[in-house]
Amino acid sequence: MTKFVIIFKAVTKNWMRSRSGLFFSIMFPILLLLIFGAIFGGQAGSSAANLFIQNLDRDANGTATNLSASFVEALNSTKVFALRDIPLDADAKSYARDALGPLGGNIRILIITQGFQDILTNGTLKVRVGISYSTLNITYQFFEPYLNDTQKLAFQQGLLGLQQFNESLPGGQTSLTLMLDASDQSAATIKNIVLSVANAFNYQLIGAKNVISFNEESVTTKRFTAVDFYVPGIIAAFIMTNGIIGLTTNTTEFKRRGIIKRLSITPLTKIDWIVGNVLSQTLLNLMLTAIMIVVGWIVFNAQVIPDAFAIILVFLGSVMFSGIGMLLSGLVKDVEAASAIGNAIAFPMMFLSGTYFPMEFMPAYLQSFARILPLTYFSEGLRYAMISKYSEGIFASMAIITALAVVFIIIGSLVTRWKEK
Amino acid sequence: MFLVGSIMEKAVIEVTSLVKQYGNLRAVNDISFEVYEQEVFAFLGPNGAGKTTTVEILECIRPLTSGSAKVFGYDVTKRDEIKEIKRRIGVLPQEFSALDKLSVKENIDLIGGMYERKHSSLEVIKLLDLEDKTNERFENLSGGLKQRVGVAAALVNDPQMVFLDEPTTGLDPKARREVWAVIENLKRLGKTVFLTTHYMEEAQVLADRIAIINKGKIATIGTPQELISQYGGLKTLIIRKGGRKLAVALEERYDGITLNHAEDILVRVDNVKEMWQVLSELTRMNIERDVEIQTPTIDDVFLKVVGGRITEEGELK
Repeated sequence: MTKFVIIFKAVTKNWMRSRSGLFFSIMFPILLLLIFGAIFGGQAGSSAANLFIQNLDRDANGTATNLSASFVEALNSTKVFALRDIPLDADAKSYARDALGPLGGNIRILIITQGFQDILTNGTLKVRVGISYSTLNITYQFFEPYLNDTQKLAFQQGLLGLQQFNESLPGGQTSLTLMLDASDQSAATIKNIVLSVANAFNYQLIGAKNVISFNEESVTTKRFTAVDFYVPGIIAAFIMTNGIIGLTTNTTEFKRRGIIKRLSITPLTKIDWIVGNVLSQTLLNLMLTAIMIVVGWIVFNAQVIPDAFAIILVFLGSVMFSGIGMLLSGLVKDVEAASAIGNAIAFPMMFLSGTYFPMEFMPAYLQSFARILPLTYFSEGLRYAMISKYSEGIFASMAIITALAVVFIIIGSLVTRWKEK
Repeated sequence: MFLVGSIMEKAVIEVTSLVKQYGNLRAVNDISFEVYEQEVFAFLGPNGAGKTTTVEILECIRPLTSGSAKVFGYDVTKRDEIKEIKRRIGVLPQEFSALDKLSVKENIDLIGGMYERKHSSLEVIKLLDLEDKTNERFENLSGGLKQRVGVAAALVNDPQMVFLDEPTTGLDPKARREVWAVIENLKRLGKTVFLTTHYMEEAQVLADRIAIINKGKIATIGTPQELISQYGGLKTLIIRKGGRKLAVALEERYDGITLNHAEDILVRVDNVKEMWQVLSELTRMNIERDVEIQTPTIDDVFLKVVGGRITEEGELK
């Protein structure tokens, strides 16, 4: 058997039987995927926003007016809100605060003002009359040259009558009050949703149709969820930590205990040792990839589909991060230092490379910084390969990672000491 | 004996004016020696004497600064010749360790897999009497057993020579004696053994020849008997419970009489003739006491040559 295969088998077996190794390389990423998936997975119905409504628009019998009831119904139909009623006689703020309790989250109250129906009816009438007036006026302007004086007078009187009627109608009154907490992160979203419902309601009343309508489509062909974003991201991040933290601490431990020295006494060459270790990392990372995808499929109904490019990328990433791991373990002496330096590099890289959230969320200077991190290209490449199947993107990341892999594995090999000083 | 030796013995290691320099420190300072085929050769010295440095130069994992070192006639500095050396040597490094989660057999297979010509791992496991630990994980073994696995791994390529670097350091006395038995067995198998140690007794019990090394220099080299007769000083005759009266009587005729606190009389004797004289004197005086002869040891040689003793931890004091 070739020597690197023997090394590959031995270090892989040694790793597979180590509980802590298994935890950090496989279990920990799965846990993270489950947590991130559960929080940001966007499962329908999982979390509607609380919205208290106090409907003050009542008729003489104390029942809600038709229009106010329809408006509440329209809000409810968005399925964004968990609507809760505030009784007529209660103070809205203190009622909502008591109802939610001290840890109940943000208070959001919508008050439908008394006279909502009247204001809306009058407002609608005013708009319609206004439209009629302006239509008649344009018609008058157009036909004026062809009309005789009697006809002109009749028109003018009619127009004047309409104008006077319109002015007599009340308008511009507030009919809705939305109270939001300043610290509420969802405030802007909630406000927009309520506004949209109100606008739609307005349009409906005046009989207008939407001239511009939206047809929402994803740029990718399938429907993807947030989990599809996390699966390749977390895979990439942990292939990185397996190389930068796992391999570094393992190699340093082997070095400290004289295991590498013992092997260097045999005819084993440094190249065989490195190739065996890189292959072991590759196998481990392919296993991680497979397990993460299967967990994504089963638990979150994720859509990610790995292909040959994804496998090649996992291999290239394994080589690149093993190279960095070798480089680091060549530079440090003890295991504590190896773990410290590994963590110091891995964790900032993990959070700055768009692994857990899109890079667009970060300020511009951090985005430019992210552009020099190898993980950025690796997680992008994996996303292209597993989700969007965007081949230019795949090849671009592949080219960058290949170049970095070659550079790091060469430097890593050079600093790996196969002889004592 | 010297004459016979020179005809019979073939040098498998030849070291000439070897120097190893680290910055300002000369770890190995111009040493020359030979190791003969099938002998147990011991480097005896305190920590930092240059033992491991020399051995690792011979194992081709540490470059030398100047001088020459040949193993089986191959130069340790030449790439092509290193291959030939590595094939023929087995090594138990200082503080031997192996992959914790692999079994005894898997670890030996790992080392064995690096050689073309080799024993099966089960053969060396049997040789080291490790059969019932074959599938035990390395991490679960005691210190003595771990050393035996190390020796087994050193033998897996059927080497002509075995380097054992501090094979019993840190072991309890029982485990130490187990390892000694293993080394004696290696000798019976016809292996040349290069042993480093800071234990006097170990060198004296196991070695055919001892080189006492201190501060990078070989202080003296020879068989234990040669060293003892050269540096060990006089033998001592001990007359148990001899008492003051007898001591005074003997003192009239002999030099070097001492009485210890247990009332034992210690008589320093130069040679066998003098010893018989003392004994016949005792017979003539009709004195019936237990008599013992105490011969000097390597301890005495070391004290004389180096001017100090080595602690259990290997430090010179």
